[in-house]
Amino acid sequence: MRPLMILLGAVIVVAAAVIGVQHLFRMGMQQGYAPAQPIAFSHKLHAGDNQVPCLYCHYGARSSRHAGIPSSSVCMNCHNILEKQTVEIERFKEAAQLDRPLVSWVKVHNLPDFVYFNHSRHVLSGVACQSCHGEVEKMQRIEQVMPLTMGWCLSCHREHAGVPTNTLERAALRFSETPKPKTGLDCASCHY
Amino acid sequence: MDKLPEGVIEPRWIAGSPTLGQVTADIARPMEGKPGKLWYVLFAIALLGLLDLLGMATYLIANGIGVWGLNNSVGWAFDITNFVFWIGIGHAGTLISAILLLFRQKWRTSINRSAEAMTIFAVMCAGLFPLLHMGRPWDAFFIFPYVPNQHGPLWVNFRSPLVWDVFAISTYFTISLVFWFLGLVPDFATLRDRAIGKIKKLVFGVLSLGWNGSHRTWSRYEIVSLVLAGLATPLVLSVHSIVSMDFATSLLPGWHATIFPPYFVAGAIYSGFGMVLTLLILTRQSMNLQRYITMRHLDSMAKVLLLTGSIVSYAYATEFFSAWYGGNIYERYHFINRATGPYAFGFYLMVLCNVLAPQLFWFKRIRNHVGALFAVSILVNIGMWFERFIIIVVSLHRAFLPSGWGMFYPTLVDIGILVGSFGLFFTLFLLFIRYMPMIAIWEVKGVVTDQQHMAHPSAETIGTAGAAGIPAPAGAAGMEHHHAE
Amino acid sequence: MSDHCNGAKDKLVTLGARRPPAPPQDYWTSPDELHHGPALRGEFPGGLPEIPAAAIHLPASGEPATAGAAPDGHNHDHEDHDHDHDGGDPDAGIGRRDFLTLMGFGVGAASLAACRAPEQRAIPLPVAAEDMIAGVPNYYATTCGGCASACSLLVKQRDGRPIKIEGNDVSELFGGATCATGQATVLSLYDNERLRGPLWQGQPAAWAEIDEHVTSALAAAAGKPGKIVLVSSTITSPSLRDIVARWGRAFPSFHHVVYDPISASALRLASAQAFGRAIIPHYAFDRARVIVGLDADFLGTWLSPVEFARAYARGRRPDGPTTLHVQFEPGMSVTGSNADRRIPTAPSELGAIAAALLARIARRAGEPEVAAAADPVDPTILDSVAGELWNHRGASLVVAGGNDAALQLVVHTINRLLGNIGHTVDLDRPSLQRQGDDGAMTALVEEMQRGEVHAVILHGVNPAYDYLDGPGFMKALARVALSVSTTDRRDETAAAVHAVCPDHHFLEAWGDAEPIAGYLSLSQPTIAPLFETRAFADSLLRWIDAPGDYYSFLRDYWRTQVMPRQSALATFDAFWDHTLERGVLDLGPPTTPSGAVASADPAGSDWRAAVSELRDESQRAAGTEGRTDGHFELALYESVAMRDGRNANNPWLLELPDPITKITWGNVAELAPSTADKLGLRDGDIVTITAAGGAIEVPVFSQPGQHPRTISVALGYGRTQVGKAGNGVGVNAFPLTRLVRGTRRAWADGATITATGQRDKLATTQSHFSMEGRPIVLETTREELGHAERPEALPNLWNERPAGERSWGMTIDLDACTGCSACVIACQAENNVPVVGKDQIQRQRSMHWIRIDRYYSGSEDNPQSVHQPMMCQHCGHAPCETVCPVLATTTSSEGLNQQVYNRCIGTRYCANNCPYKVRRFNWYNYTTGNHSDYHMANPVGRLVLNPDVTVRSRGVMEKCSLCVQRIHVAKNTAVKRGEPMQDGEIKTACQQVCPTDAIRFGDLNDPKSQVAQRMHDQRTYRVLEDLGTRPNVAYLKKVRHGQTT
Repeated sequence: MRPLMILLGAVIVVAAAVIGVQHLFRMGMQQGYAPAQPIAFSHKLHAGDNQVPCLYCHYGARSSRHAGIPSSSVCMNCHNILEKQTVEIERFKEAAQLDRPLVSWVKVHNLPDFVYFNHSRHVLSGVACQSCHGEVEKMQRIEQVMPLTMGWCLSCHREHAGVPTNTLERAALRFSETPKPKTGLDCASCHY
Repeated sequence: MDKLPEGVIEPRWIAGSPTLGQVTADIARPMEGKPGKLWYVLFAIALLGLLDLLGMATYLIANGIGVWGLNNSVGWAFDITNFVFWIGIGHAGTLISAILLLFRQKWRTSINRSAEAMTIFAVMCAGLFPLLHMGRPWDAFFIFPYVPNQHGPLWVNFRSPLVWDVFAISTYFTISLVFWFLGLVPDFATLRDRAIGKIKKLVFGVLSLGWNGSHRTWSRYEIVSLVLAGLATPLVLSVHSIVSMDFATSLLPGWHATIFPPYFVAGAIYSGFGMVLTLLILTRQSMNLQRYITMRHLDSMAKVLLLTGSIVSYAYATEFFSAWYGGNIYERYHFINRATGPYAFGFYLMVLCNVLAPQLFWFKRIRNHVGALFAVSILVNIGMWFERFIIIVVSLHRAFLPSGWGMFYPTLVDIGILVGSFGLFFTLFLLFIRYMPMIAIWEVKGVVTDQQHMAHPSAETIGTAGAAGIPAPAGAAGMEHHHAE
Repeated sequence: MSDHCNGAKDKLVTLGARRPPAPPQDYWTSPDELHHGPALRGEFPGGLPEIPAAAIHLPASGEPATAGAAPDGHNHDHEDHDHDHDGGDPDAGIGRRDFLTLMGFGVGAASLAACRAPEQRAIPLPVAAEDMIAGVPNYYATTCGGCASACSLLVKQRDGRPIKIEGNDVSELFGGATCATGQATVLSLYDNERLRGPLWQGQPAAWAEIDEHVTSALAAAAGKPGKIVLVSSTITSPSLRDIVARWGRAFPSFHHVVYDPISASALRLASAQAFGRAIIPHYAFDRARVIVGLDADFLGTWLSPVEFARAYARGRRPDGPTTLHVQFEPGMSVTGSNADRRIPTAPSELGAIAAALLARIARRAGEPEVAAAADPVDPTILDSVAGELWNHRGASLVVAGGNDAALQLVVHTINRLLGNIGHTVDLDRPSLQRQGDDGAMTALVEEMQRGEVHAVILHGVNPAYDYLDGPGFMKALARVALSVSTTDRRDETAAAVHAVCPDHHFLEAWGDAEPIAGYLSLSQPTIAPLFETRAFADSLLRWIDAPGDYYSFLRDYWRTQVMPRQSALATFDAFWDHTLERGVLDLGPPTTPSGAVASADPAGSDWRAAVSELRDESQRAAGTEGRTDGHFELALYESVAMRDGRNANNPWLLELPDPITKITWGNVAELAPSTADKLGLRDGDIVTITAAGGAIEVPVFSQPGQHPRTISVALGYGRTQVGKAGNGVGVNAFPLTRLVRGTRRAWADGATITATGQRDKLATTQSHFSMEGRPIVLETTREELGHAERPEALPNLWNERPAGERSWGMTIDLDACTGCSACVIACQAENNVPVVGKDQIQRQRSMHWIRIDRYYSGSEDNPQSVHQPMMCQHCGHAPCETVCPVLATTTSSEGLNQQVYNRCIGTRYCANNCPYKVRRFNWYNYTTGNHSDYHMANPVGRLVLNPDVTVRSRGVMEKCSLCVQRIHVAKNTAVKRGEPMQDGEIKTACQQVCPTDAIRFGDLNDPKSQVAQRMHDQRTYRVLEDLGTRPNVAYLKKVRHGQTT
């Protein structure tokens, strides 16, 4: 009887500890974050059904650190000639004419602090938008699919640098022979 | 001195020949009666110090390290000085409780309990500073290796002595705490049996882990203490060696020295015994325990001070010699600067306190004069604090490039936190002597019984005498227990 | 470069006639922030990118708006390095994440609810602009307005904000170089205390209203006899001069007074006598084998320091022909510290020395003998100097800084007799950089006192502060019916004028400049005006109601005046675009020599009179109080940081250590150590210095190399109404200047010095000036250079690091470095280095990533000095790395020592273990204004921050990163181009700005790279090499050039 109680207690304590620690490590992660947007813009409709290329609207991603959210004027390139009109499209037209920002979007993909992520560098090296943003063309409302943590970034960088992603393997590697250092794995490639 | 040649009388470590019950009564008195005025006065002062510490630390964390006097040249000063100082203090406790136990030094019995307590409190004070000295203490957990983490995972730098410190000190604290508590268990049992009132009974009952003074318990107890002593012994050497590597592994002239580990260990024991002496004299006088903390105790501690003090002095000399003999211009300049630079006063104060003062202990009259002992013990504490200050600040303020030379001037916050750490220490210590048996009742009883055996000598070796004498107190306690009912 | 070319064209289109400057409330719509505003927060704990509308329209009181007014409505808490996005009060101690981190241990589960990152908003630009892609910088060529040197610039504009100034390497004169002041001007643009709009009678008013008042007043004046006067600092802009000329036609009673507080009018007077033209010759220091400087700090401040420093270094390469530079000066200057031979000389003796040299040279030239006189200094020195000059006839140069016509006439004559005219002294293309006329100014003040002046327009001048009789000027000004000032703040003078019509900052304005006759350069706006300011030229045009605005006027002027003088391009638009893109234009020598006056016969110019005059004066100074005890000669000089004091509210410059004294935040009285001992004065003792002009109270500093009978005090300090940062910093020494023989003299004899008993802790960044015999700055001689084999590399105790794709390295040529300190500011601007304030500097907590160590060797009376730029050495075996418990600092695969701020917990162990002491700790949070309230603490000032560099927060270590952000930009452009990076494509900020090309940066793996080749130079060594730190930054030994006895 008594030992049973003790055992039970121990189990509960351990479980609580494990869960708590796991949560602590996940602190600040926003996987699955899908806020409502001021305008119900559907990527499924645009990128999916109508096959508008990502880089048409997010042209910054080709040349800049920032992918950028398109200006109303960019929207108008198509919507001027499309007859289908909605209240929200009207708001865009107005915005473009008045040269005044109307919409303030809710940012979905927020990296951890003090990371410099360069869109152009990744786009130009052929990383598909989906590999970080998920299958946007299937999303009515944008959701953060990937964890966007440092470990997650590194796993990809390590793969491409030919370094084992598994901690233990890496540790073993250290002892046998030093791998040729890769720029993509330097702290200063993202933190400066 | 395990065995004595025939005919020599075993030295008496307890004045008079009190009955075992009397011993218990004497030592339990402070816990059961009201303490003297002196205790209250001291406690009030200590409490003020503690408040000062809390205030200063809050101010520091709210504003940043800038509130200290540090600058681009001197990145560490009072913070790490205090840290090393307090760690050093701790060592005497471990030495007394562990090494002297292994060597069966019976004179330790009256002082080991408070010495161990001192160790624990000192390490608590020390542990404060690595935290406070960080620019971002809220991220302190970075220095613990925690996997799996979301960073890839990101590890700590096992090459950094600061990481070694983390392990060394946490180990040290744990072992000391366990050792101390283990020593307290039989006494808690005694107190439990004497206790009047439910709460006391309950508390001591829990603390004594259901102790029954059976032979079996005692023999197991003996073994465990020996094992723990074995575990603790290397710590006496390792902990301060590792702390010294914070400096030895750097390349700064004045830090980069191979003699640091032994030098620091000796210094630690020196300063530790200095502090033990201070504390014991204080308690002895304030709690009138002259009978249990005799002049002979003080005398032997004075001898330890003399020995370790001489080792420290030798280390100082070696440093200067190697600086001169090594011919490294930076090293050489550093030691010239140490003796003639802007901080020379600290250097000479250090020499006075750590080299000259202990030499007085060659004279028996001084070793047997409480006032003198107390004065010297204070000097030792001051001297050892300045030793660390000299090593840290003087090395930093004039390093390799003269363009980077500067001066460190302490601010009120620096001083406030130093004072505050003493506040914390003494608050804890005073609470300890008030609410816990500050002398190991059962061990003293062992010594007392030995002394009675000595009166009519038998063939018993002292080694077993300890064990043989032991059941008695438990029995006695048992009797008192019946009386209480 | 292509980037900047296109940029310039686009700029023309977008900021030119087609699009009027957007009104301020639109200003914050910088695309970067609009696309990404809150997202960028990651890079700015300071909440940088948006300048809220509210912040733009701050009340004139300068009450800074909180970042809470930012478009995303989020305020920012800077306590934690892991900055947060939730609306916390900036004063709230620890931020959300830290709080969680702390709580995490115990009550993690309880806090998890609060764990969601707060919502971040992003507002896109309403209409996309083709030349603005968020995050991609554009470069625009323009002209510096920091001083009258008018250096040509390339301005880095990022998301609509100029954030970094670089030199325009297309320019033949200035190359890619700038000075410290030029670098700092971008911060003056974002000075939170600039006026928000025009003032009438001290009250904010509308431009229309102001124009109303001014035009009516001018109309009234036109009828009366009273004069209309424009008082301006040197105007280098030809088009603006043309507008001024129009004013002359519009108002018969108009005339223009050019007033420079530190002028060169004596030089022009002397030229008029010697050459018949009131001009400032253009000096070619690169052609001179022998240079003799008479208190002319041409490497620091004189006339056109950047250009001169470049030429000087060009002419003195260790592999080139031997050169000699002798400098006579009272206090040690940047120039003197670089001279081969420096002779401390009292100001009163300089004239006599010039005379003595002239006498010797005249004798050699076969001129009739000049009456002999006692030589002020050791005659043998003068003999050898004169000898060297004579031996290098036509390839020598004598320059004097003193503003005294006789002295300058003598110097002109020396150069003429040496046949330097046309070789090292160019009269055909004179300098137009310092046109100030002392005589005209004094005359004007008298007229004003007599009430003969009806209206005064003050442009770029502040006589109340820097005129020799400020109060007198203000009294006179009170008698003027209409006084207008175009200053950007209510300074000492503007406080009393009727109308303050704030001019644009030069980065907001169109314009042109002609620093040297025939060398033109254009200015274009790199940002829409921040505040309701108006270009001075526009105001002038408006007030004579000329049609059109200044931009169209400028184009017309260039179409009619400049276009014809070139033949390269046919159509004006092509010509204009081309020039605007390049920024500079060389038209060759002008057809009509400027500044011609009643022609005088050069030979006949009465230099003998000047000689005797100078000698008499020197005798007088010698005979009377000058030599007697307790009397000193007071030498006032222009300091590298403050210059004439116009940028006195610029915290970067205030905190720039003086290249020589290494003192920041104020000026001092520099005494020779021997003199200080004699007077029993210690550094920091405040003394009263009394001279004819008045008395000042200033702390003492004993300066090795100072002439024992002189006191040097820097000008430009002691402003009282310039702003929070600059008010009351140092003391104003301008009142101690005097008018002698019609020119303003910056020295006075018979000065007395008395201790006040008070002390002031000097805010110095280097307290110890001796190398203690350590191998830190190594020297060699030209003789050794020929036959000296390189010492073999030290053995390495550790395994070599596995080599990465690249290995970045830097070399610094100690022989080229003049210590001008431009790199310090350039680094500060590029890397968001905070300003910490006087108190923190006093506590030795300066944050500069690059510092310039200055060491003396030899006797204290006249030491030799060396300057050593010192920054993170990026060690291969870095002592800082092994000790960091959390791996916050590591070596990258490319040999960079990288500091990761968000991993750093601030144990400072690395800084302790760094033998070079180059690591900088954030003792406080410098972005909240609680501990240092400078640009980083207000929303306007934050606009200067570089979005590509993290703003560090409290409690973390930082240091030089070798401009890793620039490395990344270059890599990305290479990827875009699809071809590998070229050598020299990456320039660190310090390298880019360096006038003498002392710093080289590049890939050591590429054997052909400049830096790799320099690494194998026989002068190359590494500091503290024997410690085995294996730095990637190497130094080239200083070469001691030919010495004369």
